[in-house]
Amino acid sequence: MSANNQSSARSWLMLLLAGAFEIVYALAVGGSEGFTVPTWSLVGIVFFLLTLWALSMALRTIDVGIGYAVWAGIGAVGAAVLGPVFFDETLTFVQYLWLGLIIAGVVWLKLADRPSAAEETVDQPRQAQAVGV
Amino acid sequence: MHWLYLAIAVAFEITVALSAGKAEGFTNRKWTAATLISGALATFALSKALLTFNVGVGYALWTSVAGVGITLLGALLFGQRLSWGKGIGILAVIGGVVGLQLSGGA
Repeated sequence: MSANNQSSARSWLMLLLAGAFEIVYALAVGGSEGFTVPTWSLVGIVFFLLTLWALSMALRTIDVGIGYAVWAGIGAVGAAVLGPVFFDETLTFVQYLWLGLIIAGVVWLKLADRPSAAEETVDQPRQAQAVGV
Repeated sequence: MHWLYLAIAVAFEITVALSAGKAEGFTNRKWTAATLISGALATFALSKALLTFNVGVGYALWTSVAGVGITLLGALLFGQRLSWGKGIGILAVIGGVVGLQLSGGA
């Protein structure tokens, strides 16, 4: 059981990392102005690779639907929060509410991702099977 | 034409997630290649679609349809069981992304 928790924690760390890389990727693509600025284009390509690698590591144990939603959610939160920092943008009250919903959903999914013992025995060939209970 | 580009972008985004799930942290070469190629094609098709679509609307459609498709195909192809808890969380996050995109700013 503790081995499972450890591998789950590592997967979630990878998923958060994939989201963070995605934010850098988006900023770099924006800065590359249609891949015409070489430095930002290179940063964009490197973080494109890092993002998908981290996502792939995370999806070893996290369900693909959960992984994708969290990844996209973190990317959207990052873009919204960093917009006012780097560009001349402001967040409205309504947008803060949407940000809150995304973050609450991510936390919810982290908690829902803990597979129960009953679920593991019902589940068919899955990674979770490797776990001794 | 922009709807076609958006549909292609969605299809490749779904392929990205499913391939990344198979790529085992990039140790499986075939699925790693599929992940990277479909990632590049999804980005390209989306950028084409967003030339015509309002960026917020186009991005919201893209993420939400891809997210639902990925979840359903993950259940169908990988046997990843869908529970109410997971479904509610996925809908909350994707709904939040859609709301954020549609409420201006980006």
